[in-house]
Formats: sequence, structure tokens, C-alpha cells
Amino acid sequence: MKTNRNLPVIAEMTLILLLATLVGIVWNHRLLSDAWSGKAVLATQKSVPSTQQGTTPLPLGLMQVKELYDRKEALIVDARDNPSFAAGHIKGALSLPLGELDAGLAAFRAKAPPTATLVVYCNGFNCHDSMELGSRLLGAGYRKVFVFLGGYPEWRDAGYPIAEGPP
Amino acid sequence: MNLFRKHLRSVLRIALGAVFFYAGALKINDPQAFAGNIAAYKLLPYFANYLTAAILPWLEVFCGLLLIIGLRVRAAAAMVILLNLIFMAALAVAMVRGLDIDCGCFKQGGSKTPAWLALARDAVLLSMALFVFRGANRKEKDISLS
Repeated sequence: MKTNRNLPVIAEMTLILLLATLVGIVWNHRLLSDAWSGKAVLATQKSVPSTQQGTTPLPLGLMQVKELYDRKEALIVDARDNPSFAAGHIKGALSLPLGELDAGLAAFRAKAPPTATLVVYCNGFNCHDSMELGSRLLGAGYRKVFVFLGGYPEWRDAGYPIAEGPP
Repeated sequence: MNLFRKHLRSVLRIALGAVFFYAGALKINDPQAFAGNIAAYKLLPYFANYLTAAILPWLEVFCGLLLIIGLRVRAAAAMVILLNLIFMAALAVAMVRGLDIDCGCFKQGGSKTPAWLALARDAVLLSMALFVFRGANRKEKDISLS
């Protein structure tokens, strides 16, 4: 008797879940396919924009950043604070926490000439520090500044080179 | 079932449905930000964060709608119970690990809700859902007996 009464609940729950899955996947199919195949994004969206720029840095995807990284054509800049940087960062990245920009800019200039291509990142997705830092670097005279939207989480999860330790 | 309980149940059912409908509808608009918030919990592999962000808001909306209109209340309430248990487990894990993250429960990228507050909120929603589920279950039994 009990199983008879419980079975429909499970069945109905499964049905609700299936419906939500179906609608969710159809509704977000573009986002999902982008997320599924970072490589497909690379294939169709090959080139990194060559010049810019107003006051807003242009966003880059994982594959574009990897391309620049492999060809050593860009300096990777970490906008997060020091503890986050020490806990893990893109290997070879320069640390320039947004909060310490005023103090750190002089030292940063010594490492990065104004002609350098910069790729700024932070904790991805809804972290806006990289965008903010990118804008301010543009304001500080850098000409080619990009923001890696996926940031450290996407880089790390893709299995690309990371490092730990203080700047 | 006395009249007060019956009305209380209806009120709670609709309130619970409204909360879930609202929570889901907010997230449908910004799946990418929601994926980021899920990723911050560090529980799922990369793609699963996106998949969850794509599906979960719709699940919340459907359950919310069913609760509001009073259709398939048992299943919807059971699903809400299940979801709340999962949310609470995820929040508890985040708290234990000391992750300083936004719960991502409602508006994405809004002000940060502390994990304990989100946990308490989920506990309230969970007890509401249990109450609604029990009522719906009893009603089902009454019908099958009559």
C-alpha cells in the first residue's frame, strides 16, 4: 500500500526534473555548448583582436588567452589580492591587486612596458576586479589590455599551468 | 483537519511556491553568473556548474508554479524538500571549508548573504515544505479512502 502511494510521487518528481532539464538545456543550449567545447570556440573565433580601444578592455575566452600565453605574446596580470595569488595563480602571472594599484603601479611599469599586451584576470564570472583593473591600466597608458573573463577557476579547471606562492 | 490548519497550509503552499518561482525566475536571466556562483562552492567539475545553472532555475520555477496553482502538490513539495536538503548540504560544506562566497540563492551578484543566514532561511523553507507535503499526502489518503 505504502509503495503504491509513494511510487507516483517519485514518478511525478522525475517528470518535473525531466521537464526542467529539457527546458533548461534548450533554453541555454548556446551557453552550454560554449562551456562544453572551449575548443570549438577557438575554432570559430580564432583571432585575438589586434588593436583597441576605448576605456573598456576587451574580453577574451580561455582558448584565446591560452594562445597568447603559449606564444608568450602577452603578460598575464592577476588582479586578486596577495593571499589569493599565493594560494594559486596562472603560472608566470604578475600580481597587481586592484586595491594596491596606486602603490604597485610604479613597480608594475618596470616589469611591463606600455607597449605590452596585458591579459588581466581575477576569480572569473562575476568577479569584476579584472575589468576594473583593465580599465585603469588603459587609463594609465597601456594600449592593449584584455580581460580573461573565466579567470583563474576556468584556467585551473582546464588543467593549464598554475603555480603557488607569493608574488 | 481543522479549518485553521487547512488555510495555513494553503497560505504556506502559495508562499513557498512564490519564493521558489521568484528565486528561479531571477536566475533564468543570468545563467552565466549563476554558474559562477555554483563554481564558487567548489563542489562540481567545470561543465557540471554550467549544466546545473541551466537546469536548476527551471526546476525551481516549475516547482514554484505547481505549488502556487495547487497542482501535483505532493511531488512539487517533495522536490522542494529535496532541493532544500541539497542547498543546505552545499552551504554547510562551504561553511566548514571556510569559503567566503555568496550563496547565489536569489539575485546573482547582489549583496552577499552570509552562509549561516542562508542556511537558516533554507531551514524555514524546508519546514514549510514538509508541512505542505504532509498536508497534501493526507489529502491524497482521504481521497483514496472515500
